[in-house]
Amino acid sequence: MAEQEYTVASDSENTAEEKSSSSPSLPEIAVGIDIGTSQCSIAVWNGSQVHILRNTRNQKLIKSFVTFKDEVPAGGVSNQLAHEQEMLTGAAIFNMKRLIGRVDTDPVVHASKNLPFLVQTLDIGVRPFIAALVNNAWRSTTPEEVLAIFLVELRLMAEAQLKRPVRNVVLTVPVSFSRFQLTRIERACAMAGLHVLRLMPEPTAIALLYAQQQQMTTHDNMGSGSERLAVIFNMGAGYCDVAVTATAGGVSQIKALAGSPIGGEDILQNTMRHIAPPNEEASGLEFEEVNRKVFEECERLVVQCLRDARVEVGDIDDVIMVGGCSYIPKVRTIIKNVCKKDEIYKGVNPLEAAVRGAALEGAVTSGIHDPFGSLDLLTIQATPLAVGVRANGNKFIPVIPRNTMVPARKDLFFTTVQDNQKEALIIIYEGEGETVEENHLLGYFKIVGIPPAPKGVPEINVCMDIDASNALRVFAAVLMPGSSTPVVPVIEVRMPTVDDGHGWCAQALNVKYGATLDLITLQRKM
Amino acid sequence: MKCYKSSSILTTNHHPFFYKQQPISSLPPSSFPSTLSYPTRTRFSSTRIQSRLTHDDPVKQSQDLSFYDLLGVTESVTLPEIKQAYKQLARKYHPDVSPPDRVEEYTDRFIRVQEAYETLSDPRRRVLYDRDLSMGFSFSFSGRRRNRYDEEVVEEKSEWKAKWQTQLSGLRRRSNQKDNNSMSWAARMRRQQQDSC
Repeated sequence: MAEQEYTVASDSENTAEEKSSSSPSLPEIAVGIDIGTSQCSIAVWNGSQVHILRNTRNQKLIKSFVTFKDEVPAGGVSNQLAHEQEMLTGAAIFNMKRLIGRVDTDPVVHASKNLPFLVQTLDIGVRPFIAALVNNAWRSTTPEEVLAIFLVELRLMAEAQLKRPVRNVVLTVPVSFSRFQLTRIERACAMAGLHVLRLMPEPTAIALLYAQQQQMTTHDNMGSGSERLAVIFNMGAGYCDVAVTATAGGVSQIKALAGSPIGGEDILQNTMRHIAPPNEEASGLEFEEVNRKVFEECERLVVQCLRDARVEVGDIDDVIMVGGCSYIPKVRTIIKNVCKKDEIYKGVNPLEAAVRGAALEGAVTSGIHDPFGSLDLLTIQATPLAVGVRANGNKFIPVIPRNTMVPARKDLFFTTVQDNQKEALIIIYEGEGETVEENHLLGYFKIVGIPPAPKGVPEINVCMDIDASNALRVFAAVLMPGSSTPVVPVIEVRMPTVDDGHGWCAQALNVKYGATLDLITLQRKM
Repeated sequence: MKCYKSSSILTTNHHPFFYKQQPISSLPPSSFPSTLSYPTRTRFSSTRIQSRLTHDDPVKQSQDLSFYDLLGVTESVTLPEIKQAYKQLARKYHPDVSPPDRVEEYTDRFIRVQEAYETLSDPRRRVLYDRDLSMGFSFSFSGRRRNRYDEEVVEEKSEWKAKWQTQLSGLRRRSNQKDNNSMSWAARMRRQQQDSC
């Protein structure tokens, strides 16, 4: 692989490029990719099992970074660092997964400012300025571009080994990613010429692998109907995710998800900051003390996930721990204590489980059939975050609560706050906070043509629909009492619609319109 | 691929609300048919799918079924049996595994099966549902009704109460209005369409 072709498309609004002309009779098996904060891996169903691809240095786990040197950037797939120190010169960009889709007010971005490359923030809610040091000059780039360069290398490596074009992919993503961040991942894939079939929350990929293992070992083809409950704890360098899954007969039903952007990076930074100088052994107690908040967050996520899943601790069959941080004894102790289990599930490799699950999903979604039933699998996903609208002042009103099984479709009624209010702003957010500021803005649109009426009379229905591939559509309709025919054409919007600067467009709307276009939830009139 | 040309996948002259004829002024607002009428769309279908839903289609008829009927179980069903029935139906109706030409209608069915499962697999909600069933409510499927069980269960959990209060009032209003009108939206739509044909 001497010649390297970088075919990253420009970072513009052209995500809809199409259409690969693969032969219609043979479905292309989508590859599974686990993009880790520090390491990536790629795997594919080879006809009988999942095969993890290796790079030229025979590595299954490939360091996630891109170095900018002279004209040609090179990613960690093909490039070998002469020395680990090269990561620290400012020429290498890494931690893309922590930066992608985040604005410069985000604490995670601020925590990245002491990395060797340039992360500059203006704290106004726009994307941070990111640059690599090339020949003593800062060369600007974006997390999407860096990720795309890396993905192109992964793709070339896979194509060389599989001896076929690779277009379709299933990627694993952190549970806490907003839909806006997911669009950034899709953008990076599009720039790398990859078509995303699914973006799977990481623990759900592990749940699928577990479902396959259970099906193979128990030979339970819905016969006994006995369901196995598993808690999946996944903590890597950048993110910590938890899932509760109910598995039977190859069906993995995700009962709840919880996630947070904490990981090994935080533990490393805490440890270096508080237990400096380096090379000095930190005592276990010190280590636990400086990372107390991280460990508390791990515990909180598991507790919340169990509560959301309405699962009693005594009913848990297996506790699965994966990701680099799952090796930390303190983390293992915490999870065992919360789940009241003495043993951790031993059936999966903690560093390979996610990519294996992604490859399984890739084969299943590509419509591949396995004569032995190994692909007789199904994941019923749940929404990791609630989606809703701004109403009742500055409140976030969920329309689809978190941990709703998808596909899902739910609606709520709202009404006007002013007499003769002709228009209303529908501002869509995603998250868990009670006020809108605590949540991610996904987009906004205006309903016009509300007939003149006293406040509280018009009925504005907001319906949200999430399909099996996680696409979110929002519908809005205006009704008047006594009629069920919308008085103006229904509005349908695919979300998210926000692009850059999403941090401040909500504020701009607020400054411009105040409460004149507000909504409140419709109260029952007796 | 982001095929966001929903109109090209939907049946022609398939309005999102299925309102084809005259306005239905006699219906109360609670009959707003959002849960049943917004179109489902397959995002990654390589071929453009045109699924026409007919009145005698078994999937569409599911709107008149009770939660027990939807899961294909009797009212004496045990919890493990409910879970098993749900997973079996998921394997049939989940859009990931349904036949490509029936994804839209199967998705509708799957969402209903899911709501039946959510109610019947929660002992508290199931008690409420059974109570209504025994009181002879007409038990056509309705998203409103499910919301009502949600609401009553949620109210028991004080930690959620404040957060959901605003939403609950809306739900309560709708579920109460629903009680005044026992026929489901779908049933009314079918009657109306039959009348007008």
